[in-house]
Amino acid sequence: MLSIKNLHASVEGKEILKGINLEIKAGEVHAIMGPNGSGKSTLSQVLAGNDAFEVTSGSVTMNGENLLEKETEERARDGVFLAFQYPVEIPGVSNLQFMRTSVNAMRHHRGESEMNAAEFMKLAREVSKQVDLDPAFLKRGVNEGFSGGEKKRNEIMQALMLQPKLAILDETDSGLDIDALKVVSDGVNALRAEDRAILMVTHYQRLLDHIVPDFVHVLADGKIVKSGGRELALELEDRGYAWLGIKDDETAANSAN
Amino acid sequence: MKPAPTLLSPAFLHPAGQALPEPLLALRKQRGAALVDMPMPTRKTENWKYSSKYLKLTDEMATSLPTTGKTGSALAVPGYKVVFINGVVMPEASEYPDLDNIRIQRFGDLSDAEASDLVERLDSTLDAKAVQFAGLNTARFEDGLVIRLKPDAALDQPLFIIHEVTADASGSAFPRIFVDAGRNSQLTLVEEYISSGEEAVFVNSVTEFTLAEGANITNIRLSMGGENVQHIGATGVTQQRSSRFESHCVGFGGPLRRHDLRVRLEGKGAECKLNGVVVTQDTQHYDNHTTIEHVAPNCDSEETYRNIAADKSHAVFNGRIHIHPDAQKSNANMSNKNLLLSTGAEIDTKPELEIYADDVKCAHGATIGQLNEESLFYLVSRGIGRREANVLLTMAFINELVTQIPVEAVRDTVQARLSQFFDQAFQEV
Repeated sequence: MLSIKNLHASVEGKEILKGINLEIKAGEVHAIMGPNGSGKSTLSQVLAGNDAFEVTSGSVTMNGENLLEKETEERARDGVFLAFQYPVEIPGVSNLQFMRTSVNAMRHHRGESEMNAAEFMKLAREVSKQVDLDPAFLKRGVNEGFSGGEKKRNEIMQALMLQPKLAILDETDSGLDIDALKVVSDGVNALRAEDRAILMVTHYQRLLDHIVPDFVHVLADGKIVKSGGRELALELEDRGYAWLGIKDDETAANSAN
Repeated sequence: MKPAPTLLSPAFLHPAGQALPEPLLALRKQRGAALVDMPMPTRKTENWKYSSKYLKLTDEMATSLPTTGKTGSALAVPGYKVVFINGVVMPEASEYPDLDNIRIQRFGDLSDAEASDLVERLDSTLDAKAVQFAGLNTARFEDGLVIRLKPDAALDQPLFIIHEVTADASGSAFPRIFVDAGRNSQLTLVEEYISSGEEAVFVNSVTEFTLAEGANITNIRLSMGGENVQHIGATGVTQQRSSRFESHCVGFGGPLRRHDLRVRLEGKGAECKLNGVVVTQDTQHYDNHTTIEHVAPNCDSEETYRNIAADKSHAVFNGRIHIHPDAQKSNANMSNKNLLLSTGAEIDTKPELEIYADDVKCAHGATIGQLNEESLFYLVSRGIGRREANVLLTMAFINELVTQIPVEAVRDTVQARLSQFFDQAFQEV
């Protein structure tokens, strides 16, 4: 489904991704792990089409089509979904209006008729229950005044509403307590499907206890330095990143605590 | 040696229409005489600094527009309405409420005694030195409306005043309204300024409100004139004890748009809430000057203005709060946020606070910014088109104010005009 070849990207002239190669097939769940600053979030943003990042070489194709030449909204309509590490607060635009506009943009792209307000409301209420968000949230501004956990649940809610082909989850576990982690994980597991690929980006392996990946990749200094199965994540948990020759200040600091 | 200032052309000092009671004719004459040496604003005139260059009055525009002929294209609004065409009331197009305790009279229908009483009160809410063009209106009005609300009077629905100019020839119009709100009376007054025709015209309007104790008045002002209309308007308000005045000013830009809004909180416990939304595009201009005078103690004022400027347009906000020495326990909040949709647009904002009492709460804030790139990316990453994302975020900037407009028909009109604005502002997005 997704094929990344020798991808280089930089921000403000500084190269962050230095040759990423990754193949993801439909139905697979991949986890990308790595220390802070390794380029995990950059990879997510580049795939979603954030033009603050410049792709300097390499290619990304999705279902045979060149993803990099498409605008962000076209990628989204083709099924790319990014769950943001830091979801943006947009006061003045209600969640309801935002999600309905989004769902209808997708439907329009597929040549389907728009969902009316009542149909949409029914769907939104069901899905909000699935991620344990009070439907009252729908009337508030997008992520406005949401706690960290509520923002992450809202991201997963959007993924469930939009049913993407490729879901990229950027540090979806960060800032979640154990209950919220369970809710978010259940939401992600509900997304697992034969025709859908999931790419999880995470610093810690605890998310992977709940969402078991098929493949784990270690990203360091803009390159994938090791790939393996689920056991690789467990090994990282035990031994930290150092055994791979990777410096990781945060893990070292945490171990020291 | 300073060059002699350019004075208002004498051509502007000839009022038309003599069908007014003698006291009003005398007042007009007196005001006109006082304007003989009125200097035209220049960029050195402090309260016209950013706007004087847009004011282009020609002698062709000095003549009063004819009041006969077509009755214009006044909006089909439901309920009570008074239609002014070129500054003169059209009774046949109007629908007055038929209530004993609400009296709506044209200036021409006043008795001499009533007219004398009105003369005492006209201009009393506006400082003639600060708002010179209000004086021009008084020197030129041909007609006008006095709305008297007796104590406890309340109108069950909004009263619409449609001010239309039919610009089939160059000329000017001077609509005038005076609202005398008695004790505990209530009214929602909607003023819509619109135009038809293409010739260059000048509209110089004044609306005044005097609120007695406990009166509760809502004023919605919609400025929607055409690209050929220069409009200088003023609204003056005086408030007695525990009265409440709420204002919603929505303005779309033009070659020259100027609105002075002045509120004097003269009685203890009075409160005012002033909301304003301005959108400008192309090379349009809009200038809001507001002044809130806290004269009496324990008064609250809350002011929220938002400007959106696209293309090469220019919006100006000047908000002054003046807290007098006796106005202890005043509570004043002023917020002005501005959104530039293009690098060629300009917004000038100037909050002014003058505080002479020591036990007051007074806050103000002004910002100027562009649409947030992160927010845009978030929206488009959900498949929402760029144009729609821009519209959503721009609407978000003013939504809070638009939804507060308490009359649905007005909200619909505003939304429709905003859609036109977005179509053009984001046509290349």
